[in-house]
Formats: sequence, structure tokens, C-alpha cells
Amino acid sequence: MELLAAAIAIGLGALGAGIGNGMIVSKTVEGISRQPELRGTLQTTMFIGVGIVEVVPIIGVVLAFLMFFKA
Amino acid sequence: MHDFPTWQIGGLNIDVSTFLAIIISCVIVFVLARVAVSNLSVENPSKIQNFMEWVVEFVHNLIASTMPLSKVKTYLSLGMTLILFIFVSNLLGLPFGIVTEHTEEVKLFGHTLISNEMIQSGIDKGHHGAEVAWWKSPTADVSVTFGLAAIVFFLTHFLGLTRNTKHYLKHYFEPFPFFFPLNVLKELSKPLTLSLRLFANIFAGEVLISTILMAGVWGTPLLAAWQGFSLFVGGVQAFLFTILTMVYIGSAAIHNEEDH
Repeated sequence: MELLAAAIAIGLGALGAGIGNGMIVSKTVEGISRQPELRGTLQTTMFIGVGIVEVVPIIGVVLAFLMFFKA
Repeated sequence: MHDFPTWQIGGLNIDVSTFLAIIISCVIVFVLARVAVSNLSVENPSKIQNFMEWVVEFVHNLIASTMPLSKVKTYLSLGMTLILFIFVSNLLGLPFGIVTEHTEEVKLFGHTLISNEMIQSGIDKGHHGAEVAWWKSPTADVSVTFGLAAIVFFLTHFLGLTRNTKHYLKHYFEPFPFFFPLNVLKELSKPLTLSLRLFANIFAGEVLISTILMAGVWGTPLLAAWQGFSLFVGGVQAFLFTILTMVYIGSAAIHNEEDH
């Protein structure tokens, strides 16, 4: 049963992280294409955004590891 | 998954491998900084002086993107310490690991490092004894990352209270007074997410390394690729921790004259 819990936790987390990061990076690419001189600033903001969005899915990954190894 | 040697003293469980790794990381950063500033020269900088100057400029631009330029110099050493320490700590667990197997208790100076319960649970899992790891990234331990986040938390609120008292206290009630519990929750969640983000990224990377190692010699290309990605993740997490620290300090301690 723990295997199923770990799989669900990682799967839904990956879904959230994938969709979120995809939206962030696509908007950044669009912004860079509109104003190529802002490339550095937009890239920095993109990394910060990815870091903030990925917190909860990565916490889910750690919980799934705990469930998987039953520590 | 490996156990870690814990030293139980006075009610505290001290993880010996984490302590060792923290000391080694501090020594590496200190030696790097000391070597970089020895024999300074303006016309003929050595390679390591060049590298350190690049780091200073990088951190300076990082802080300048979050707060007005006149205030940047105060927080430059904090930013450099955070980014160098966290970056070196993240990389420490990648090159190798030291795992020993124990069938009997290990005592050092009269204190138990590897207890019989650990050995028993190792035998229960099917090994010949306790598998104890002595080397890992210090940031793969939630106590270390929470310590760093607690430092940042106390620093932001202390700086906000002492340097910016009126606006710092007023921002809890902005934009409307009934937002107060939400603002308190926001302030409490900042150290939580800061510590858990760093811990979860580095811990998951290390668990995946030990999982890939289970495949033996066939996992070598995958291990090389994963270690390269872990290098990138370690750098990004160090950068993110530093820049979020600066954003929090900037919003709490710095009052923009043109806004009011």
C-alpha cells in the first residue's frame, strides 16, 4: 500500500510541476521574443519562479521517498 | 537507505555525518576565500582572484536586482557567505560516499555512535548489520537547512524592526486590516518553504544517486548524467536561497521613499 501512496504522491506532484514550469517558461520565452534586450532579467525571474513553483511537488517527492523506504 | 551515526548526548540526537560535512564545507569555503585574497594585484590578477571578483560581481548584481543600489553594500557579505556555503555544501555529497557495515556497537569516547537498535533494524531489512553512511551533503539534512532558514528569518525581522520600524509594523495591516492573519501566515511560511525547498532538492538528488547505484556498473552513464544535473540543481538552489533572502530582507527592512 505504501508503494501505491508513493506513486500517487510523485505522480500528482510531477503533473503540477510540469504544468506550472511549462507555463512559466513559455511566458518567459514569449517575453524574450518581444523584448530581446531584457533577456537577462527575464531569465533570472524565470529561475526564481521555477524555484517557487517546484517547492510543493519536491516536498511531495521527499514524502514519497519516506513512504517508499518506510523510514 | 542508509542509517547515519547518531551521537545521543543529553537528550540530543547529533548526527555525526552531518557535523563532519558541515565542518568540511566551512573549511573548504574558508580556504577558498583566503587563497583568493592572498597576493592581490590590480594589473595582474591571478586566476583565483579573477574568480572571486566574478563571484562578488555576481552577488552584487543579484542583490541590486532586489533593492536600491545604495543599500546593496550592507548585505554583500551575507549574500556571498550564503551562496558560497550552500553551493559547496550541495556539491559535497556528489563525488563519493562512505558506507560501512557494522555488526556490533561502535563507541567513541564512551558514547554510542551506532546503537544495537540500528544494527537490529539493519538485520531485519536483510543486511548483515547496520549500513551506516559517514559522508553526505550537509544540506541533505533538514536540521541544517532549517538552521539557515532560521538565521534568515531572525535577520529579516530584526532588521525590519530596528531599521524600518513604522513601515515594517504597518505592512502587517496592508492592504486591509483584516489581512493580518494572512500576513502572519505569509511570514511564517517563508522560513518553512526556504528550508524545505533546499532540503528536498538535495535529499531527493542523493536518494536517486543511491538508487542508481543499485544497478551496479550498468548505471554508470545514467549516474554521470544525474550528477551533472545535480551540479546544476545545486547551483540553482544556492542562487535561489540567496536571492529570496535578499528579497525578504529588502521588503522588510528597506523603505522606498518614492512609494509614499
